[in-house]
Amino acid sequence: MNMLFTEDQLTLAETVRDYLAGTHGPEVLRRLDADGNRDPAIWQGLVDMGLTGLLVPEAQGGLGLGLVDAALIAAECGRACLAEPLVDTAFVGVPWLVAQGKTDGLGEIVAGTRKVALSHQINPWVADGAGEALTSVDPLRHLSVHIERSRDTSAPGPSTSLGTSDEGDDHLLNLGALMSAAQLVGLADAMLSQAVEYAKIRTQFGQPIGAFQGLKHQLASCSVAIEFAKPVVWRAAQALADGLESAGVHISHAKVAATDAAMLTAETAIQTHGAMGYTYEVDLHFWMKRSWALAGAWGSRAFHLRRVDEAVLGGSLPIGPEHTFA
Amino acid sequence: MQLTYTPEQQAFRAEIRAWMEANVPKEPLVTLECREGYDQHVAWERTLASGNWGMVTWPEAYGGRGLDLIQWLIFEEEYFRAGGPNRANQNGIFLLGPTIMEFGTEEQKQRFLTPMAKGEVIWAQAWSEPGAGSDMAAISSKAVRDGDHYVITGQKTWSSRAAFADWGFGIFRTDPDSKRHKGLTFILFDLNSPGITRRPIRQLHGDTGFAELFFDEVRVPVENCLAGEGEGWNVAMATAGFERGLMLRSPGRFQATAKRLVDLYRQHEAEASPAAREAVMQAWMAAQAYAYNTYAVAAKIMAGGKIGAEASLNKIFWSELDRSMHRTAMQLLGAHAELKRFDDGSVNQWLEGYIFSLSGPIYAGSNEVQRNITAERLLGLPRVGAG
Ligand SMILES: Cc1cc2nc3c(=O)[nH]c(=O)nc-3n(C[C@H](O)[C@H](O)[C@H](O)COP(=O)(O)OP(=O)(O)OC[C@H]3O[C@@H](n4cnc5c(N)ncnc54)[C@H](O)[C@@H]3O)c2cc1C
Repeated sequence: MNMLFTEDQLTLAETVRDYLAGTHGPEVLRRLDADGNRDPAIWQGLVDMGLTGLLVPEAQGGLGLGLVDAALIAAECGRACLAEPLVDTAFVGVPWLVAQGKTDGLGEIVAGTRKVALSHQINPWVADGAGEALTSVDPLRHLSVHIERSRDTSAPGPSTSLGTSDEGDDHLLNLGALMSAAQLVGLADAMLSQAVEYAKIRTQFGQPIGAFQGLKHQLASCSVAIEFAKPVVWRAAQALADGLESAGVHISHAKVAATDAAMLTAETAIQTHGAMGYTYEVDLHFWMKRSWALAGAWGSRAFHLRRVDEAVLGGSLPIGPEHTFA
Repeated sequence: MQLTYTPEQQAFRAEIRAWMEANVPKEPLVTLECREGYDQHVAWERTLASGNWGMVTWPEAYGGRGLDLIQWLIFEEEYFRAGGPNRANQNGIFLLGPTIMEFGTEEQKQRFLTPMAKGEVIWAQAWSEPGAGSDMAAISSKAVRDGDHYVITGQKTWSSRAAFADWGFGIFRTDPDSKRHKGLTFILFDLNSPGITRRPIRQLHGDTGFAELFFDEVRVPVENCLAGEGEGWNVAMATAGFERGLMLRSPGRFQATAKRLVDLYRQHEAEASPAAREAVMQAWMAAQAYAYNTYAVAAKIMAGGKIGAEASLNKIFWSELDRSMHRTAMQLLGAHAELKRFDDGSVNQWLEGYIFSLSGPIYAGSNEVQRNITAERLLGLPRVGAG
């Protein structure tokens, strides 16, 4: 029993954080939104760090790491509001393909030449797929119409399908929801930092607005929500990695907690910025819209709350002090 | 990250479970907040000690079992699973004990820890004064050095258990010219010393939960001072860290409440609102989140880390969780909640629990103060009134 990350895990997460902070700043998001121009060097950098192969077994040329490692990196992707399909491809797609024994395309994924768009009945649209473009709240997400039911393996467009999930594929759903939750805590962290930085420099009534308790206390409440969502996400990742039967409940718990933390922080961060927060000029909205998008992806809050409800009130999950982990 | 228990940990759990099942009183004890209940709870402390369960993390030399924090958490889980009574000596074992372990001399450890673990000496905490609540640095009770004694004069208040307890600990101003955090000293004193008057205070629920203490030239030997003279503030902050951060409220307590709430919901499902149903789910989720976080904090400490200002997050979280769980129970109970001593006493447990939960956001440093600390020390926002 040890609920700590290893030094290696923390170092890798920090490396990714530094890389994204250095190469994937808000100006990248603005350029992408303005003209759709993607700088291929950013993706290549992620590939070079081995992240596309993070969960690919070593025998297939990957790093062979686990879901907890991936969740930590997904949180960093959230923190940076990463506009590249790393999480879907490498942290959701790959473990699903590996579990299905569909290892043919893994080499190309590791090499970064194949990106994966994931389709599942729970998602009305496919993120980052190619197809009929839909407008999303998140200007950086490319969505296409849901192709899941078609079972037409050529449907995903330029790259061919690597497999088709069953209608109710719980494993894929769990992976998608877990990695969304991980991104949400990273997004929430970033939004809180943006609000705190602004509160330190904006002055009114002769003092920084961050000295007013009315704001301090709201920002502190965001911190509470975020810090108590994180361990739920890590626990959920470990539960899935351990193959616990109850993993789905823990993932749903994580999705609800992370969604709530991100939503609270998004609203509080806007409020902290005043009218500035209501502009396109301030970067915050990219993070906020990504949060909204992920909150609805891979099962809404209501869906996940119901999964918790069914397990807890339904009685299938043992509860009480002696059942923290079992 | 490794979230499974070793066979030794599982065996340890089984050992505690068997002991608790055999020893936890079948009938709930009378409330700790009256003479009769206090005596029952002290007797229970001694029963616990007879099984060597007083404080499992302490070294064997001081009445403990020399176990680690994970084993402590397992112990606490089983304790609350079994419905173990409130700990009469919580201020001793969870707050003062770790502080003595960190700051005490070998002689002080020998003298104070073992009787504490054995439930022979029950401790009260005495920081607050009428003029010094949230602003603890405003305390004015004095301890004046006279040879090998301090002579204490002043007043403390809201001291939990002090109406009946044996010993107290607190900080006193030893340097009469000092201001604020300086010139304070952490002193342990016998509550039966000549010159101490205890005045019990009735709480919201009508019973005596805490007391005022009046000190009239109370002589306390200097060897009862913990760490050096003038070090009081630092020592007190360490104690407060234990209080907010880890020990005072172990997760089992809230997981047990969440479980009872789920059962209560089932009983009242027909008339319950969808909002209450969601609140019940939130209760389970939040209690679990608190448990995961506590395991993470325990692992951090075991790896040599310390609890810093993040203890404030903890304190906010558990106190507001406790209040919202009990509020939900009140809503589920509706008009039943009003009746004291209803059916098997379970309603009363919710009512008393609700009343007690209202004090959680006040004691151990009010939640407003914890939010200030979070904002200033964790988020780095400017101090109140900073220009
Ligand atoms: C059940 C219970 C048990 C207790 N047990 C003990 C005990 O064993 N030993 C002991 O020493 N004390 C004990 N206390 C006292 C407790 O520590 C104090 O009540 C607490 O520190 C708050 O102080 P106060 O009551 O004087 O409130 P005040 O400090 O007067 O606060 C009143 C209100 O003002 C707010 N406030 C104060 N300062 C600020 C600020 N800077 N920013 C924003 N808001 C602020 C507070 O949050 C609170 O809402 C106990 C209290 C309770 C309720």
